[in-house]
Amino acid sequence: MAAQIALPKTEFRVESAPTYNQTSPIRWVVSHLARYKLLLAAFFVGMTVTNIFNAAIPRQIGAAFGVVAGETATDAAASAVPDPYYAIVLITLTLVGLAVGRFFCDALASFSMEMVAKRLERDGRDELYLNLLGKSQTFHNQQRVGDIMARAANDVRFVNEMMMPGFSLLYDSMMAIFIPILFIGFIDPRLLLAPLTFCFFYYFAVRLYMRQLEPVSEQVRTRFGDMNATLNEAVTGIEVVKAASQDKQELGKFLRDARLYRDAFVKEGEVQARYLPTLLIGIAIAGGFLQAVYLYNLGEISIGDLIAFMGLMWVLRWPAFSSFFTFYLVQMGLAGAGRILELLQAKTELDENAAGHVAPMRGELVFENVSFRHFDNGRDLLHNISFTARPGETIAIVGQTGSGKTTLTKLVNRTYDVTGGRISIDGRDIRDWNMHSLRSQISIIEQDIFLFSRSVAENIAFGLGQQVSREDIIRAAKEAQAHQFIMNFKDGYDTIVGERGVTLSGGQRQRIAIARALLTDPRILILDDATSAVDSATEDEIQKAIKRILEGRTTLLITHRLSQIRRADRVLLIRQGEIVAQGTHHELMATSDLYQRIFARYDI
Amino acid sequence: MGFIMDGIDAEAYDRQYSDRQLMRRIGRYFRPQVGRVVLITGMIVLNALMDMVLPVLISQGIDEITGNQATTAINTLVFLILAATVLSWGFNFVRQWYTARSVGDVVLQLRSDAFTAVMSRDMSFYDEFPSGKIVSRVTSDTQDFSNVVTLTLNLISQVLLVILIVGYLFSINARLTWLALAMAPLIVGAALAFRRVARRTTQQAQRLLATVNANVQETISGISVAKNFRQEQTVYDEFTDVNEQAYQVQVRQGFVFSAIFPILVFIAGLGTAVIVYFGGTQALDGSITPGDWFLFVQAMSLFWFPLTGIASFWSQFQLGLASSERVFALIDAEARVVQIDNQPTPPLDGRIEFRNVHFRYTEQEQVLNGFNLTIEAGETIALVGHTGAGKSSLGRLIARFYEFQGGQLLVDGHDVRCFDLDSYRRQLGIVPQSPFLFTGTVADNIRYARPEATDTDVRQVAQSIGHGDWLETLPQGLDTAVGEGGRGLSMGQRQLIALARVLLQDPAILILDEATASVDPLAEAQIQEGLETVLTERTAVIIAHRLSTIKHADRIIVLQQGEIIEEGSHASLMARRGHYADLYDAYFRHQSPDYEVA
Repeated sequence: MAAQIALPKTEFRVESAPTYNQTSPIRWVVSHLARYKLLLAAFFVGMTVTNIFNAAIPRQIGAAFGVVAGETATDAAASAVPDPYYAIVLITLTLVGLAVGRFFCDALASFSMEMVAKRLERDGRDELYLNLLGKSQTFHNQQRVGDIMARAANDVRFVNEMMMPGFSLLYDSMMAIFIPILFIGFIDPRLLLAPLTFCFFYYFAVRLYMRQLEPVSEQVRTRFGDMNATLNEAVTGIEVVKAASQDKQELGKFLRDARLYRDAFVKEGEVQARYLPTLLIGIAIAGGFLQAVYLYNLGEISIGDLIAFMGLMWVLRWPAFSSFFTFYLVQMGLAGAGRILELLQAKTELDENAAGHVAPMRGELVFENVSFRHFDNGRDLLHNISFTARPGETIAIVGQTGSGKTTLTKLVNRTYDVTGGRISIDGRDIRDWNMHSLRSQISIIEQDIFLFSRSVAENIAFGLGQQVSREDIIRAAKEAQAHQFIMNFKDGYDTIVGERGVTLSGGQRQRIAIARALLTDPRILILDDATSAVDSATEDEIQKAIKRILEGRTTLLITHRLSQIRRADRVLLIRQGEIVAQGTHHELMATSDLYQRIFARYDI
Repeated sequence: MGFIMDGIDAEAYDRQYSDRQLMRRIGRYFRPQVGRVVLITGMIVLNALMDMVLPVLISQGIDEITGNQATTAINTLVFLILAATVLSWGFNFVRQWYTARSVGDVVLQLRSDAFTAVMSRDMSFYDEFPSGKIVSRVTSDTQDFSNVVTLTLNLISQVLLVILIVGYLFSINARLTWLALAMAPLIVGAALAFRRVARRTTQQAQRLLATVNANVQETISGISVAKNFRQEQTVYDEFTDVNEQAYQVQVRQGFVFSAIFPILVFIAGLGTAVIVYFGGTQALDGSITPGDWFLFVQAMSLFWFPLTGIASFWSQFQLGLASSERVFALIDAEARVVQIDNQPTPPLDGRIEFRNVHFRYTEQEQVLNGFNLTIEAGETIALVGHTGAGKSSLGRLIARFYEFQGGQLLVDGHDVRCFDLDSYRRQLGIVPQSPFLFTGTVADNIRYARPEATDTDVRQVAQSIGHGDWLETLPQGLDTAVGEGGRGLSMGQRQLIALARVLLQDPAILILDEATASVDPLAEAQIQEGLETVLTERTAVIIAHRLSTIKHADRIIVLQQGEIIEEGSHASLMARRGHYADLYDAYFRHQSPDYEVA
C-alpha cells in the first residue's frame, strides 16, 4: 500500500502504463527515451561512425593531392608510393568504400532515431491522454478545449521533432565538429588554432542566439495556442455567430490573435537573421588558410596536409550552419515538453482510491450538513444540505434556475467533492469508496446530454464499455422507449449520431441516455429532467421510460413535472443553495409559500 | 510500396489540385509583397555569388602556393576571402529579415481567408465535418505552409549557387564538369522517385493525426460522460488504437523521408570518388592545375548539398503543398447556402412567406415538400408538432442556416436569397434550445450581438427578463465568468442569457426554438410576461413543446411531417377538438397530479 500512496492522485489509472519522471522537461524526455535504449545505441553508433567516415574523406583527398603534388615537390610520400596512378586508384577505391560504409551507418542512425522520435510522440500523447482522463471535472471545467488540443497536437509533435531531426542533427553536428578537429590535430597541432578559436566564439555566439530566441519562440507558441483557442470557440459556437451576424466580430478576434502570432513570428525571424556562427566559420576558414599557407611556406606541412586541413575546415561549415535550427528544434521540443508537463503536473483533487471500499451498493444516500464552493474565495453554492434517501426512494429536487440543484447531484458521484459536511452511501463516506466501485454503481443522466460521434448502438453500450450483445442493447432501447425512433433511421442502430451524424431531438437524446443508463443497472440514479415536456407527443413514451428506470433504485430527480413530483417519496425545495423546505408534495403545498407560487398555476 | 499507400479517408470536400494550380494560387498571395520579394531575390543572388567566390578564391590561393608565388598575393586573397564571407553573411541577414515579414504577412492573409471561408460556410458544413478537423486546417496546415515558403527560398538560393558554380567550372574544364554533372541526374532522379511516395505518406500521416486530434477533442468535450459511467478504460483503449495507427503511418512516413538523405549522400560520395580519380589523373598529366582540381573536389560538396536539398526539399515541399491544398480545399468548399444578390436589407417589417418550399437535410429524408405559409408582419405564430415535424427547420430556413432545394422564401416580399446576409441576420434574433456561450462574462455574452451596447443597456435587458431574479443566482451577477461553451452555468441560466442576448439585439424577426425549455416554471411565468411586450412589436416564430407558453400566440400552426394540418388561435383549435386539442390535453394530463403512466 505504501507504493500507492506515493503515486499522484488520479481518477483513472492503467496498471500496465509505464511511469515517467515528470519533475522537469529534460528528465521527462529522458525517462521516455530510457524505454528505447537499444534503438538509441544504434543511433549513437551509426551517427558516430558516419562522422568518422565523413572526416576521413578530406584526409583521402589530401592524400590524393599529395600524390599529384609529389611529382613537383620533394616529398617523402612521393617516394613511398612508386606509381602515382596506382595510388590515385587506391585512394578512389577507399573513397568508394567510405561512401558505402557511410551509407549504411547513416541509414541505421536515421531509421533508429526516426522510430525513437515517433514512439516518443505516441507515448507522450498516450501519457497525456491517460492523465487527462484521470483529472477531475473541476480541472476540466477550467480548461479551454482548444488549449488542451494545442498541447496534445502541437506540443507533442514538437517533442517528436526535437528528436528527429532535432537531436539527431544536434548530435551529428557535435560529431561533425569534434571528429574533424581531432583529425586536424593529427595533421599538425598548430593548425588547431583556427578551429579552436572558432569553437570558442561559436559557443558564445550560439548561447547568445539561443538566449534571444528562447523568449521569442515561447511567445510564438503561446500565441499559437491562443489563436487556436479563439478559433475553436468560433467554430463550436458557429450557430450563435451566424445568428447574431457577428462573423466580423469573430474575424476581428481571430485576426487580432493571428496578428499577434505574426508579430512574434517576425521577431523570431529577426533573431534568426542575426545568427553569427556562419560568419565566424568564414573568418576561421580565412584565418586557417593564412596560417596553413604560412606553415607550408616554412616547409612545416606538406601540400597534402594543407588540402586535407582545408577540406576538414570546410566540413565545419555544416555544424556552424545547422546549429541555426538544431538547438532551436531541441528548445522548441523542451518548451513543448514543459507545456505538456504543466498539464501532467496540474494537481487533481480526487483520486481513484484503489484501496477504497468496494461493495455492491444498497443505495442508502445521506447528506449531512453538506456545503460546496467551487473556488476558495467564492461563496457557497450549496449550504448546509441535509437529507436522507433510503434504498429505492425517489427524491425530487425542485427550485429555480441556478439554485444549485444540478451542483447538488454532482456531489454524489464525486464529480466534485464537498467542501463541508459529508455524503455517505450505505453508511460510508463516499470519499472512502473506491472510485470505480462508486461511479460504476451510480448513473447520471444529465440535462445536457452528450452523445459521442458514433453509432446509436455504441452510444447505448458505452456505459458497459461495448461489452454487451446487440440483443441487450435493443432490450434496453425498448425499455427506454427509444427502439421505435431508432428503427426509423435508415441505418437503425448503426446510425451515426452527434457531430458527424444525425441530429437528435432533446427527447431522443434523453431516451438514448436512459437506455445507456439502464444497461449499467445502477443502484443510484441521478436524473436531471428539468427540460420539462420535451415533446408532448412523445411525452407518454418518455414518462414510461423514466418510470421504468426509477424502479428499484435510489433516485435524485430534478424535475418540474407535477406528476413525477407527486410520486416522489420526498421533495426538496432548493433556493439559493439551501433547502428551504422538504416533505411530500401535499405537505409542501400546505406549508411553503414559494412552493405554492411555483406550482399553483398547474393545479387546475 | 503498397504498405505505404494504405488508404486513409479524405474529407468529402478535399479536391485534387495540380501542382501548377497550387503554385499559381500561392503566388497570388505573394503579389502584395512584390517589393520585398524583389529585394529578397536580389539578396539571394548576391549571397549565392559570394558563396561561389569563396571556394574559387581558395583554389586560386592553392595555385599560387604550388606555383611558389610571393606571399603578398596570398595576403590579398585572404583579405578577399574575408570580404566575401562578411558580405555573404550581410546579404543573408537582409534576406532573412524581410523573408520573415513577407511570410508572416502571407500566412496571416491565408489564415484570414480560411477563417472567413469557414465562417461563411452554412450549417450543413458543420453538421458534416468535426470542428477539430476544421480548426486544424486553419491553424496547423497554414503553419506547415509557412515552413515550406521559407524552405523554398533556401532552395532557390542553393540552386542558384549550383548554376553559378557549374558555369564557372565549365569555363575551367568542360570534361571534368560533365563528369561532375553526371551525378546530378542520379541525385535528382532518386529525389523524384520519392516524390509520389512522400506525398502520399505525408497526406496520410497528416490525416491520421487529425483523426487522433478529433478523438482527443471529443473525449475532452465529453469527459463527464466517461467519468459518470466510469468508462475511462474503453475510451482509453479506443484512443490507443488510433494513436497506434497514427504512429505506424508516421513511422512509415519517417522511413521514407530518412531514407532519402543517406541515399543522396551516398551518390554524392561516389561523385567525389569519380572526380578525385579523373581529376587526379588529369592533374598528373598537367592538363589541370592542382588548385582547379581542388576546386572541383570542393565543388562536389557545394554541389551535392543543394541537390540533396532538392530531395529533402521535395518531401518538405510536398508536405507544404499538401497543407496548402487542404487549406485551399477548405476555402473553396462549395457553400450550399447561396445568395444570388447582396442587396442591403431595408428595415424589415417582418412579413415572411414560404411558397412551395422543398427542403431536406440529406438525400434520404425529405423534410418539407411544397410547404406554404405566410406570417404577417408583427404576428406571433407558434409552431407545434411532433419531433421531426419540421418546426425547427422552418426557423433555420428563415435564418438561412440551410439552403432549401425548391420554391421561394420571401421576407417583406423580397426573395430572401437577394439580401446581404449580414444585414439580414442583424434583424433576425434566434434563441436555440442549447445556446452556446463564449468565454467571457455574462455581460459580454449578452452584448455579443451588439458589442457597442453600454452597461446600462445590458443591465436593462437583463432586468426585463423575469424582473432580473435570475441574476441573483449568478455568483457575480452580470460579471460572472462564463467558461467555454457555457460551462459552469446551468442550461436554464444559459437560455436566459441567450434570450437577453437576442432581446438586446432588438431584431425585427424573433425565432424562439424551445428557448425556455430548461427554465423552471416560476421563471418561465415571469419570462412570459416580459416576452409579451417584446413580441407585440415584432414578428415572432415560437417553437415550443411546452404548450403553456404558446397559448397567447396570434396563430398556432400544427405541423405533421412537414405539412400544416391545423392552424388558428388557441380557442378555435380547442373548439375543433382536433390534433391540437389532443396535444394540449395530453400535455396538461402530464402536468396534472393525477397523471399516471400507463
